[in-house]
Amino acid sequence: MTTLLTFFIKESIMRPMKRLFIFVFCLLGLVIFLWQAGDGEKTTTQAIFRMNLTAEPPTLDWSLATDNVSIRVIENLMEGLASYDEALRPQPAIAEGWDISPDGRVYTFYLRGDVFWSDGKQVTAHDFEYAWKRLLNPETASEYAYFLYDIKNAAAYNAGKIKDASLVGVKALDDRTLRVDLKKQAVYFPSITTFTATFPQRKDLIERFGDRWTSPENLVVSGPFLLAEWRHEYRLRLVANERYYGGRPALDEVIFYVVSEETTALTLYETGDLDRVSLPPIAIPQFKTHPDYVHAPFLRGYYYGFNLQIPPFDQVKIRRAFSMAIDRTEIPKILKGGEIPATSWIPEGMFAHNAKIGLSFNPEKARRLLADSGYENGVGLPPITLAFNSDPTNQLIAENIQAQWKKNLGVTILLDNLEWKVYLQRLREETPQIFRLGWGADYPDPDNFMNLFTSTSGNNYTHWANATYDQLISDAASEGDPKKRLRDYNRAQRILTESDVPIMPLFFAAQNLLISPDIEGLKVNAMDFIHLKKVRRRDVNREDAKKVKP
Amino acid sequence: MLSFIFRRILWAIPVLWIVATLTFLMMHLVPGGPFDREKKLPPEIKANIEAKYHLNKPIITQYGLYLKGLLRGDLGPSYKYLGRTVNDVIADTLPVSIQLGALALLIALTLGLAAGMASGAFAQTPWDKLSMFFATAGISIPNFVLGAFLILVFSHHLKIFPPALWEDARSVVLPAFALALAPAAYIARLTRSSVLEEKHRDYVRTARAKGLPEARILFGHILKNAIAPVVTILGPLAATLVTGSFVIEFIFSVPGMGKFFITAVTNRDYPLIMGVTLVYALLIVVCNLVVDVFYTLIDPRINLG
Repeated sequence: MTTLLTFFIKESIMRPMKRLFIFVFCLLGLVIFLWQAGDGEKTTTQAIFRMNLTAEPPTLDWSLATDNVSIRVIENLMEGLASYDEALRPQPAIAEGWDISPDGRVYTFYLRGDVFWSDGKQVTAHDFEYAWKRLLNPETASEYAYFLYDIKNAAAYNAGKIKDASLVGVKALDDRTLRVDLKKQAVYFPSITTFTATFPQRKDLIERFGDRWTSPENLVVSGPFLLAEWRHEYRLRLVANERYYGGRPALDEVIFYVVSEETTALTLYETGDLDRVSLPPIAIPQFKTHPDYVHAPFLRGYYYGFNLQIPPFDQVKIRRAFSMAIDRTEIPKILKGGEIPATSWIPEGMFAHNAKIGLSFNPEKARRLLADSGYENGVGLPPITLAFNSDPTNQLIAENIQAQWKKNLGVTILLDNLEWKVYLQRLREETPQIFRLGWGADYPDPDNFMNLFTSTSGNNYTHWANATYDQLISDAASEGDPKKRLRDYNRAQRILTESDVPIMPLFFAAQNLLISPDIEGLKVNAMDFIHLKKVRRRDVNREDAKKVKP
Repeated sequence: MLSFIFRRILWAIPVLWIVATLTFLMMHLVPGGPFDREKKLPPEIKANIEAKYHLNKPIITQYGLYLKGLLRGDLGPSYKYLGRTVNDVIADTLPVSIQLGALALLIALTLGLAAGMASGAFAQTPWDKLSMFFATAGISIPNFVLGAFLILVFSHHLKIFPPALWEDARSVVLPAFALALAPAAYIARLTRSSVLEEKHRDYVRTARAKGLPEARILFGHILKNAIAPVVTILGPLAATLVTGSFVIEFIFSVPGMGKFFITAVTNRDYPLIMGVTLVYALLIVVCNLVVDVFYTLIDPRINLG
């Protein structure tokens, strides 16, 4: 039997399979060759920093960019009138300094004389005037045009009510002086000039190249790095700008890889292909004791809002009861990312943050409040639905809170999760009784967070309106005295989270990162800005070549 | 034959038009729009954007504008990747998917046919059981599990292949195998049952009676007839493989087109949804045509005239 089988295999399979075997061996040889060729670590004196972007940057046109991926790249190519220091205070950048008129409505920015575009031309006030008017031009259709709405006539020009751009309150008086007229005082205005949407632009180049002005062969910048390559969906390569007015950066090259999957990025960090990654929630417990682990707060708040138009949340006592019945310290226990439980709304790391404000966990009082409203142990309440957009984190939180309300109030609520865009439409058209949302800082000023719940805010889905609150937020925005400003925000936060309770804040997010020990000077900040101009590699020394995997 | 090919190409036009129209309708029926954001846009800004992309016009006008562009080969601007057209996006990503998909197809065919033939020829032997065990496993294991497993073994432990990225030829290996194993398993099972069926046909008995060596019978006669069902599925399979896979591209960070079948929809990037759907439809039409032509080569009884 065995001999028969051997014979059979030899005769019927081996001979014709010979060619196949030769083919397979050739293929194997090729693979081994490629492996050898690719594995030789190249010795280089280049200082390269590599990190991942979570998605392809939708655009590098800083009048149109609104997402943090695009902004992360742009911030290393360009600078504005001001830029943030490590404590997130706006400091002079392309502007040497600025004057503010006594009524706080006119800002005059004085530009440095030594800032040049990468093609050799000087950066002038006219470049700012052009860029700001382009941002506001309705044809540009910029989503962040509203960043400049504090400027006189800006909103009207953007809405098409004024056709004449020269009426907008921004004007280059000469090459180095930019005058800005505001419609009302806005103490945070220098913060706005740190933002990518306000960076200068070159009229000649944008008119010449149209939509293609941001491709590597056309793009002219004035920041610490130049765009050398943009391979869509895959990688962007930046090289040091020798002309940068702040001095050539220590890094020769920055490579941003588009890696969307967090665990893939983590694997690439472990294999030494990336120098910085953000940890996926699932990996945080495992890496908490890792020497490269970095934990930092993040200016992003997470809250549940109530729809005040539908029973039972038209009654303030019930809203308070629901907020008080939640032990927020359970959230970092289930998410494990070092989140900061919150009962107030202005996040830690921002001016006027006050952890003492808000309704703290008090199940007895919560039950009493519910009983006072006529719903002892939740009996008689209409069915209540908590809606959120489909996401594992949102699901975990919602289930935990559902259980807490059951345990602490005796109330059973239903969960409803929806796809993101469907959810957004639902919020607009039939706001659920309880809904989840978050907010990340556009600029590190409490105005950006507190403005959200004014009666005129498009992002206020609660249908809550409180004139005192609106007034306080408006006053605080133009208040120059920090003490008075703090008082205004404290009062406003108490109205928002203690007395009226249209929302219940839950927690502030945190950053959980791994940063390679070879990297020096990469400061982590609460806005998650990554400014690479001061970053250097410890393992690359120009005199003494060392191995760096390219 | 030429007139057949010509007719089929003509037929592709109404097919693509129907696909375009259905996709257009379905996409506009889905709630939520491309410019809905967590941070809601002020109404005047939303109006500017809608005017820029003609979204403020009635649906029928938008449809007309779209078809007009389509006739010129212009798939329109992407709503998500500002300043890039859908043509740009597809031109950047489709070649990568084709590269990966073609290699995966080759692997799938080689492994699938070899395993299937061997299984069929040696039915009910341990070799057959082993190869069918792998084939069943290949079909049942989802490719993201397989991808993770391959990364663990070949990148983490053996350090032979990179875990992700698209740097050199080595980068292609793991995603190509992860993509190929399920179709390989499918082809193997298909080939096996087809070989088993053909094995008992009269012409095989005749060939054997003539004293032909088993190998000649297997490769010269059985294979030729048994391969027909495999060729049938090859059309749609090739189209699916070369347009990329969301999961594989995601896990291995491959800059291909497959991800847009999901992300274009979640972003409500209407022109991009239309673009990738039409590319997929076109490839199916082309691949099926190639398959039909190929039939005449393997089976002279088929007459396309």
